[in-house]
Amino acid sequence: MVKYAMAVDLDRCQGCRGCMEACKIENNTVESVFWMHVFRLESGEYPDTKMSFLPRPCQHCDNAPCVKVCPVGARFKREDGLVLTDADRCIGCRYCELACPYGVNYFNWAKPEKRQYLDYDHPDVERVTGGVIPPYKNPDLDLLYGEEQRLTAGGGHFKGVMEKCTFCVHRLDKGLDPACVDTCPVQALIFGDLEDPSSGIAEMINDRTHFRLLEEVGTEPSVLYFGGAAPTEDSREIETVKARV
Amino acid sequence: MATATHEATLPRGVGRLTRGWVIFILAMVAVCVLGWVAYIREFSEGMTVTGMRNVGTMGGATWGLYITFVVYFVGVSFAGITIAAVIRLFNLERLRPIARMAEVMTVVSLILGAIAIVADLGQPFRGIVNLFRYARPQSPFFGTFTMVIAGYLFASLVYLWISSRRDAALLAKQPSRLHWIHRLVAAGYTDTPAERERQSRATFWMAVSILPMLVVATSTLGFVFGLQGGRPGWYSALQAPAFVVLAGLSGTGLLIVLAAIVRKSLPRDVGLNQYVFGWLGRVMMLLLFVYVYFMVTEVLTATYAGVDRDQQVTREMLWGEYSWIFWSAVILLVLPLASLVFQALRRRWNVSWLVAAGIAVNLGAIGKRYLIAVPSQTHGQLLPYPEGSYSPSWVEFAVVASLVAFGALVIGVFMKVLPIVEIEDEEVSHA
Repeated sequence: MVKYAMAVDLDRCQGCRGCMEACKIENNTVESVFWMHVFRLESGEYPDTKMSFLPRPCQHCDNAPCVKVCPVGARFKREDGLVLTDADRCIGCRYCELACPYGVNYFNWAKPEKRQYLDYDHPDVERVTGGVIPPYKNPDLDLLYGEEQRLTAGGGHFKGVMEKCTFCVHRLDKGLDPACVDTCPVQALIFGDLEDPSSGIAEMINDRTHFRLLEEVGTEPSVLYFGGAAPTEDSREIETVKARV
Repeated sequence: MATATHEATLPRGVGRLTRGWVIFILAMVAVCVLGWVAYIREFSEGMTVTGMRNVGTMGGATWGLYITFVVYFVGVSFAGITIAAVIRLFNLERLRPIARMAEVMTVVSLILGAIAIVADLGQPFRGIVNLFRYARPQSPFFGTFTMVIAGYLFASLVYLWISSRRDAALLAKQPSRLHWIHRLVAAGYTDTPAERERQSRATFWMAVSILPMLVVATSTLGFVFGLQGGRPGWYSALQAPAFVVLAGLSGTGLLIVLAAIVRKSLPRDVGLNQYVFGWLGRVMMLLLFVYVYFMVTEVLTATYAGVDRDQQVTREMLWGEYSWIFWSAVILLVLPLASLVFQALRRRWNVSWLVAAGIAVNLGAIGKRYLIAVPSQTHGQLLPYPEGSYSPSWVEFAVVASLVAFGALVIGVFMKVLPIVEIEDEEVSHA
């Protein structure tokens, strides 16, 4: 049985946020939605300050609070460890978002077509594109995945439903790693099967110590952090993602 | 006009349209229309027209004014049917005049709560189907959606209908424009002694079964918040009991207001006297004592023993962005308590002061509901997100105002169709 997990090597992460960009392009998420978010943190008092980076995908918890509270079973846990949202079933009550201590859920507040970074109908944009480049849509995202055959991949499906990181379920189906993992220039993100002893992630667990975020809440996350340290009360974001629409 | 003279004989102002009533109804309809305009905008544009945003990087609150009022409306409904059931179970004959309006209040506010939930959904049509089709009892929301709205509303409606049949049958004996409605509601009931006995037994057992059900139902609403370990300020065993007490408090307050309005608008004395208001005032006073006590323990625990993020939420509530709401709520709860204690000691109940207290505790309750929902989202992040903010948009205000107006409208129409105060036996013999 496969059990997917992601390892984040904090000693390697340089805070370039390339993973955030890759995620957005792969999953067609709309403006101000960051399924992968990299905290750029500072702690301590000047001149003794420390800087650190903390990538935060969905933690795909084994004891996922979002799955427990969903009133219609749109948010569900797959046997291979993925926590996914069925965009066809979600009613948009946003309870999962409140139950989640990591803040990884993003709601489609408006019609996804209206929240693109570029307004493709705008004359200035059309002058450049000549009308030949439609807004890019990843065709894989409209397919159904997994044993359950549910609409779980990618973002921007409907207004009024919840979406979040899927560990790129559509890429796993083809045997690829998630987009953020493939993009990372310093291999700070490692994806693999915990049950497979030869996988990179299993070896890392044997060789090094790791921690998980907010272990005290009892969510049993599938994202393991190696090196570095968990953010403390003193940690604050150096510059926040301007993400209010 | 022959019909007019006939209708004038119907008791409790039923069927008589006064000028004030028509103006009131038109005003309420106008507010409802405004709410519809706002909601249609929300429905077509998406919830981006509300002030709500994602928690986390978007720095907002994802539950706002709608959920505040869902909780408030369900809370108000709690007191109504409780008081009606208690009156029935213990045969509190002198309190009978408020039983019917308490039942109506329950049914109306439950309907408003259901509408407010639907207004809060991103996919409302899907919600109405999926909440039943894919219902998951594991979700604390199951209690709110399925048990409160479906079970509790249904039970309250049946209770209201059963207890109204007799009055409808009595009214149906007289010809009027509303004759068909009265016959429909009476549904073959003719007030023979055997029927009255059966009716009495039915309402008794309904009351017995409704009482535990509504404690469970209102508690589930507290569990929606209280079971969430990942949201500082929510996770508490006190949530459910505090919800039930504040529910009873706001409901009793509203019932006092409603009873005072009914007393003013009905042509003759219907038994809404000092005794009734004094009883309601004492109930409100007791609940206020319990709630103020809960509030003190809650704040004390959170400030003394709370871990970092809990303390931050509490600090924000006591001294920060939300302090004006918190301290207004405290004043709106403590001042009525003082006035009620004063009146209780003097053993004289002043209806105007009671109405003022009723309005005050309702405003305070709305403020407290808001404080339960919002600060934990904007300031209760466990990861180092920046502080969020939330202020409701005009769409949310308009929808909530139209819900309140719709409730007033339904109660207003009900008063003209069926007697809002039960008809007494001696009145029947006069007729």
